[in-house]
Amino acid sequence: MKRLPFILAAAASVPLVAAQEPSPTIEATPTFSPVTWERLLNAADEPQNWLMYSGTLDSQRHSGLDLVHAANVADLELKWAYQIPQIERAETTPLVVDGVMFVTEAPSNVVALHAATGRPFWRYDHVLPDDLRLCCGRNNRGVAILGETLFMSTLDAHLVAIDARSGNLLWDREVAEHSSGYSKTSAPLIVKDQVVTGIAGGEYGIRGFLDSYDAETGELRWRTWTVPGPDHPDNATWAGDSWRTGGAPTWITGSYDADLDLVYWGTGNPAPDWNGDDRMGDNLYSDSALALDGDTGELKWHFQFTPHDVHDWDAIQIPILGDVEYEGETRKAMMWANRNGFYYTLDRQTGEFLVGEPFAKQTWAEGLDEDGRPIRFPGLEPSLEGVIVSPTIVGATNWWSPAYSPHTGLFYVNAFDGEQEYFKREQEYVEGEYYSGGAGRRVAPVDNYQSAIRAIDPATGDIRWEFPVAPRSSSGLLSTAGNLVFGGTVGGYFFALDAASGEELWHMNVGGRVHSAPMTYAVDGVQYISIAAGNVLFTFGLGE
Amino acid sequence: MRRQSRSGFVLVASIGSLVISAGTATPAVAQENPLTTSVDVWMGRRVYLAQCGRCHGVDGTGGGETGAPDLTTGTFASASTDAGLFDIVRDGIDGTAMMGISPRTPDQTIWQVITYIHSLNLDPGDYELPGSVSDGQEIFRGKGNCSSCHMVGGEGRRLGPDLSMVANRRDPQELETDLLAPDEEVAPRWWTLRVTQHDGTIVEGLRMNEDTFTLSMMDEDENLWHFVKSQVRASDRIKKSSMPSYEGRLSPSELDDVVAYLFSLRKERAS
Repeated sequence: MKRLPFILAAAASVPLVAAQEPSPTIEATPTFSPVTWERLLNAADEPQNWLMYSGTLDSQRHSGLDLVHAANVADLELKWAYQIPQIERAETTPLVVDGVMFVTEAPSNVVALHAATGRPFWRYDHVLPDDLRLCCGRNNRGVAILGETLFMSTLDAHLVAIDARSGNLLWDREVAEHSSGYSKTSAPLIVKDQVVTGIAGGEYGIRGFLDSYDAETGELRWRTWTVPGPDHPDNATWAGDSWRTGGAPTWITGSYDADLDLVYWGTGNPAPDWNGDDRMGDNLYSDSALALDGDTGELKWHFQFTPHDVHDWDAIQIPILGDVEYEGETRKAMMWANRNGFYYTLDRQTGEFLVGEPFAKQTWAEGLDEDGRPIRFPGLEPSLEGVIVSPTIVGATNWWSPAYSPHTGLFYVNAFDGEQEYFKREQEYVEGEYYSGGAGRRVAPVDNYQSAIRAIDPATGDIRWEFPVAPRSSSGLLSTAGNLVFGGTVGGYFFALDAASGEELWHMNVGGRVHSAPMTYAVDGVQYISIAAGNVLFTFGLGE
Repeated sequence: MRRQSRSGFVLVASIGSLVISAGTATPAVAQENPLTTSVDVWMGRRVYLAQCGRCHGVDGTGGGETGAPDLTTGTFASASTDAGLFDIVRDGIDGTAMMGISPRTPDQTIWQVITYIHSLNLDPGDYELPGSVSDGQEIFRGKGNCSSCHMVGGEGRRLGPDLSMVANRRDPQELETDLLAPDEEVAPRWWTLRVTQHDGTIVEGLRMNEDTFTLSMMDEDENLWHFVKSQVRASDRIKKSSMPSYEGRLSPSELDDVVAYLFSLRKERAS
């Protein structure tokens, strides 16, 4: 209550206006209180807030809010829109804390808005150098919060701490040298008093890692290399010195299990992407799920989805943690639909492979063996002449957030049944230069291929329903206790599906391409659902 | 059908494409491309494949997640001169996924990339055609009945692609294939949608848009239709062309004339 004098002063100024207006029904109250680690641990208990990138530490991207539900979702209407001033693909998932929304913008900016009206409190514009090394546009996907501090990745491979009340810069830490090919786009993950954060640059021959920083000071706590050095036996999975430029970036946000004290994170492609000739071997830990000790970053287990990848099939998906009934037992599971076309259920205590089935068109593997390792068809590596393979370079899915509903027990993913002609090229590594070793060619216009939101039973890998999307989607998904799944399309739609059946219940033409994931929150007992499309953040709620 | 590399014609094509900047977008270093030999094409290709191919495709035809444009047509949405292309390769295009090349890349390398891109472009100087442009125009309007579907310069109908600049995107061999085997490569825009309404009536038209929830099309009387998918009984795609084959309808020399006429329909690059 130390801000009481401020409140009184503010209240004293109100009657001047109030005298001319009808009596307000809701008194204005100060908003925003610090987000402790306990609040983050128990984020599901305050569904009016969206406290981290994937909603909760288990990354289910499932909200307990049910004010909007299957029976009334058709009454959703636009409540407000926020125009992002930068013309660039908006990939952000906002956070909401006690009525304040934090939205990241391209290239590396953040703005705080009033969550019920979309009007601003403050903005932070990060100053960037000219010589960025980016494979795929100037994007930022979101912030993390601990206490009263926001943490954001920036395109020049820095991690910045920003005061959540004012937008003031608290500290600015270089994570890696951007001119060598490193960049940062994804939201960090708070683990206790640490900021755990990944790195991008898989198309520049970086050596990947996952870092943890002291949230208070910005000092590095630990760094775990995703390409092990010569002192580690797994270094033998890289021919010669290829590990030095092996890629395996960590460019999407991970998850955390407090009971097991394990941090889970996905890793990207080995470098160069499409030419594996100089990096013979499995190339650990590229294209893998990693489980790391929550205090030290020590690698506890790993599961590699695509050994010796030559198709750019990053395992850059959000690890979704949940309990799954598997063969009569409740297992602490990790659910993962991979860019390579297979869906996996793993035991998240041990990394044991439980389930693996295709969830999208794939032509590269007969199936998975009993350990989950792919059984490849021969002759489908990229070549000088070109070879046609499914999935595409973009993948059967990509970084687009999946969701899981504990009510339906279904895992939801945005899937694409495309095909691509892959080419291999000779390429020498030059620090800071593009290092892909090949390229692709489209086989036919995208209209020829199927895209769909698919609901998967994690106990079996069976697809329970699908909702076809035309021509395709680059959207993440949101599940809610209102028995809804929200998603979008590159054609500019935002829609709601019945979580149990996949039936479409509502849609809106928002115009801009949806490259973000929806989220939901509530202010003063009103539930809102937000989605970034094009360069606008749209927020919907029920009609009065 | 895919475009073939025409590197054998490159030297001629490159000299023909020397450009003097119009003064709107001028790189600081030079206004003309100084590096236009076949060696420059070869050097530019190496850089293109390493730096550009991921988005623009190994053959330059674009596509993919980034929506990178086709670079093989000879016209570019954001530049009309080599000087403009230089600026784009050097600096990128704000608001798009097009990033500038590494600042360490020398200017000469950028010019070589531009020369390589031009080697992918159609250039009329590469072709000597046997047909007559004026005879082809007459057949187009008369015996061939092409104007009953296609528009050129605002004349004709709307039931096929506007051919006013068709030579910017199709070479003579492709144009001949289009005439003889129109089903070989039908762009999704020219598929036919067949919509069955709940009362059993059927509407067919050329596919102008199809998305998750709606269909838009033009019927043979050039009426515009819009349907909500959930409000119709069925919708089907017919991925064939609505154009007849001209095999046997036109003589070989008449086909040559039509190809010559079509290949004269282009928007020239600024010079």
